[in-house]
Formats: sequence, C-alpha cells, structure tokens
Amino acid sequence: MNSRFTALLHREWLQHRRGWLVLMVAPASVLGLLSLFEGALQIQVGAQSADVSNMTAMPALLQASLMTLAVGLVTLALAVLSVLFQLPGLARRDQDDRSIDFWRAMPVSDTRSVAATLLSHVLVFPWAALVAGLLGGVLSTALLVGTSHGLMAWLDLPWATLLPSVLALLLRLSVGLVLALLWLSPLLMGAMLASAALRRWGVPVLAAVLFAATRLLDPRLPVPLVQPALKTMGSEALQALVRIDAFSALEHITSAEADAVLNLLQTLPAGLWQDTIATAAQAATPGFALAVLGGALGFASLAAMRRRHG
Amino acid sequence: MSDALIRATALSLDYGRKRALDDLSFAIPPGRVVGLLGHNGAGKTSLMRALVGMASFSGGLQVLGQDPRRDRVALLEQLAYIPDVAILPRWARVGELVTLMAGMHPKFSAERARTLLRRTSVGLNDKVKTLSRGMVVQAHLALVAAIDARLMILDEPTLGLDLLSRKAFYEMLIEEWCDGERSVLVSTHQVEEVENLLSDVLMLNEGQLVLAISLQDLEQRFVALSHDPSVADAMAAAHPLLRYRVQGGSAALFDGAPPPEVQALGQRLRPSLADLFVALTRRPEINRPNRANGDQGA
Repeated sequence: MNSRFTALLHREWLQHRRGWLVLMVAPASVLGLLSLFEGALQIQVGAQSADVSNMTAMPALLQASLMTLAVGLVTLALAVLSVLFQLPGLARRDQDDRSIDFWRAMPVSDTRSVAATLLSHVLVFPWAALVAGLLGGVLSTALLVGTSHGLMAWLDLPWATLLPSVLALLLRLSVGLVLALLWLSPLLMGAMLASAALRRWGVPVLAAVLFAATRLLDPRLPVPLVQPALKTMGSEALQALVRIDAFSALEHITSAEADAVLNLLQTLPAGLWQDTIATAAQAATPGFALAVLGGALGFASLAAMRRRHG
Repeated sequence: MSDALIRATALSLDYGRKRALDDLSFAIPPGRVVGLLGHNGAGKTSLMRALVGMASFSGGLQVLGQDPRRDRVALLEQLAYIPDVAILPRWARVGELVTLMAGMHPKFSAERARTLLRRTSVGLNDKVKTLSRGMVVQAHLALVAAIDARLMILDEPTLGLDLLSRKAFYEMLIEEWCDGERSVLVSTHQVEEVENLLSDVLMLNEGQLVLAISLQDLEQRFVALSHDPSVADAMAAAHPLLRYRVQGGSAALFDGAPPPEVQALGQRLRPSLADLFVALTRRPEINRPNRANGDQGA
C-alpha cells in the first residue's frame, strides 16, 4: 500500500483511537463481568432470539461458544452504530476544526484523503472491532468457564474445533460487512454529502427528503421506486451481514449437551463457508450493482466537494 | 527569466461576481524573499491559494513549472505552504504530526523537524490544543521548514502574534530555511516588520498588482525628499505620490526622479516600504501607467 495512504490511515487511527479502543474492548469486558452473575443473557437478532438462561450451569463448550458469538456480535454492532452516528460529520471534520488547509497542503490528492477516511471508518474500524470482539469473546470465556467449571475446564476446551469455527465466523462476517456496506453505500454517501453541504441539518434534511419521496413521489410513479429501494438496501444489508434464519440453530443448542455442541462446531466452518459463498453469490444482482454505482458517485462527489470547498 | 519559480500571466480569480484578482502578471526567480503586501481584502490569500492549487482561476499560472490546478499533488511535493496561523489539528501531538508528515511528504525530514523543534519551546509530546498561538506557529514553521522544498509560501503567518513571537518566527525562517537557493513568498500587511527580510516586493490593491519590483530597483525608481515646510507648495506642484511627515519635517515621495529644481529643494531619503505601500495602495490609479506590460521581475 502506498505510504501516503498508509499515513492517512494512520492519521485516522491517531485521531480516533481512544473511542475506537473503548468500543472494541468494552463489550468483552462488560459481558465477561456480567457473565459471572446468575441471570439471563439473551441474544436477539431480528425476530429470532435465544435465551441463554443461567449460563453458569451450561456445559463449558456451550458457554465458550455463546460467549464468543455474543461478544463478537455486540462489538460489531456497537462499532457499526458508532460509525453510522459519526460518518455524516466526517465530511466536514477538517473544515470544522480549521485543519483542512494543513491537510490540503500535503501532497496527497483529495480522492485519497476521502478514501482513507471512509475506508478506515466504514471498513477497517468495524472489521477491527469484529476481530477484537471475537478475540475478546474467546478471552472472556476464561472468566465465565473458569468461574463455573474451573480454569482447567477452560484449558481443556476443544480449541482445535472451537478456533476454526471462530475463524470461519470471522470470514463470514467480514464478507458480510463489506457487502452490507456496499448495499448501504448510497445512503451513507448521501448522508455525508448532505452534512458537507448543510452541516448539522444535513441528515434531518436527507431523512425528510427521503420520507417525502416515499409519500409524495412514489404514488405518482408508474412503479414505486424510493421506498422499495430503501427497503431493499436495508434488508439486503442485514441479510448480507447476518442471515437471520441461521440463528434458529441457537434455539436447539441452548439445551444441548456438550457432545451435540461439539458436533455442531465441527460442522460449523464448512457451513459458514457455504454461507459465505451463498451470500457473496446473492450480491450478483442489478440492484447491488446500482447500489455500488450510487456509492461510487457519492464518493466522487465528496472528493469533488473537498477539492472545491476545501 | 525562463527559470522563474512562479510565472503568472493575466491571472484572474473570481468569487461569483466579485473579482478577487484582476489580470496579474509577474514572475519570481529563484533565491528571492518576496513580500506580498496588501490591505485586508486586497487579494493576497486568493493569490496564494491559486498558487498552491486550492482556488480555481483564469489566465496562465506556472509554479515550479507546474500548473497548480492540474498538478497540485506534484507541485506540493516541491513546495511548502503555511496558509494561516493555528491550523494545525488541535487533537494531535506535535510528535504525531512529525510522524504523519514523514509518511505523507516525500521531501519531509522527520529528523530535521525534531532538530528544529528542539530549538523552540514546543515539545514533541505537546498537544497542539495546549500550545499558545505563538507556539503553534513556531511548531508549524519547524514542521514546514523540514521539507526540502524549493519554494515556501506563507500567508499572513504571524497574524495576531505578539512582537516576540513574530520576531522569533522570522528569525527561524531566515536562519533555518533560506539558503540563497530557495525562495519565499510571504504575505503580510505588517510591512515594516518584513522590510529588512525582503529582496522583492509585490503589492496588491483591490485585486490588482500595483507594484512588482526588487528592493534594489525600488530605491532607484522611487525618490523620497525631505524638505522644509516652506517649500511644501513647490513639492506639491511636482505631483508626488505621497506627502508625509518625517522626523523634524516633511517629505514627498516621487515615482521617478523629480525635476532638478524640485530635487534641489530637499534632501534625498531612502523611501520606506511602508510609505510606498501607503502611497500605492491608497491611490492605485496613479501607478497603473507605471506597471510593466506582461512579464515583470518581482
């Protein structure tokens, strides 16, 4: 990777590392500590949910699997939420703190500057949070399993089965993250452009325009356009990230014995790999191509705005 | 002057219907320290932003042989630019900026930056937001002076600083960066403070270039005569650019040698840049016939 682009990514890390680190570490720490207490922990994704009651009484392998999954997903979800909250403001960040001329005095193109900001916030940070979440989940199992079954039980976990499943999950969610972001890229870029142009009114105005379009424009078109497009983007992004039906399996494993969990984990990497391929294949649609095109146009507009008003 | 670092030909810049720069033509050769003087709103910042490719313009402009609009990135590899005071990112530590600049600028020397910073009161661990204005400017200059560039462009770098900070800034600039080969273009309206540093001067008034001249030529072209108040009418009759007070009497400033009979009435003085600035930017219409056509050495 070009050293200037690496330096731009490094700048994002230096500027945002504190918040990023807190978001990456906090879920593992909090869930690890909460798991020490008797009570209910519920994982819910969409309409599917799994009640993980009285975790301390579960078999060690089930505890480890659920804890790793829970911490990984919660960390990723928090990272994505923080990105969605922060992203619109990034379009004017350097203008707002008056450092824009310092950065633009560096021999780096505006396109690369915008690309580095987007890449680091939209992809690198959530992905790093996912890795940190899964890793933190694995480590926090030591606390849970160690407390309820003893440290030796944690050491005796079938790591050769558990870790490939975690890596397969990482791969699946990584591919899903990229696809989900590409599906949502027109909206994300739109929010940034609106904020760049209208500052804090950008997102409310964009939301109002989209709402008005679904209410006023769609009924006048031969075929409704805006609302179906928004629905498609949202549902496809969620499906790309996590296929909801996959979570029905949780209902069965919560009451299963250790052997059943082990069997499930042994087949999980292959299943996740198949799911990854299927998810990637599902993206080969004209709708996905249009979403990517919309995102690319938004990106080009952002770079042009930085060039013109920077 | 084919080796000019900056060459502008009929350069104009508009903000909507307002014309910020109007048909400027000048050239700056290597190894010069050029002052860009003008009142607030004269067009200094617009010119500087055009020079570094941050503002669009019409007409011809070559900086270090590059078109700033088309080749901004390549141009900035050979050029150091301080656009304003206090624009360093406030969240950063100075040492982090050194690291980042080392990654972003191929001609930046982190070691030289650290050496220059050691000569200031700014520490590498200091956060920019904890520094005073003067310290921020010192840190910025130390960072930018560590770029092995051929040209440095400074836009009002000492605006709002106290006298000591301004002095420290210019000392560092001259001692650490100017080596006889590199050129500096510095804009300011604190004319008296930079007069001794400059080799050339460009004066802007309401977007128009009213003077582009070396200080050496300036002393030959402009004549200041101190005179007794009793001959004030005779001086006024010779149409000086400016009549002003000097210690113990009056003075008149002429563009070119006044008639011998007028010269005989006074004593020749070295015209100060500040007086010339007042004369030319107060009444720019006087000077338009004196502007050289097309290419003008700064």
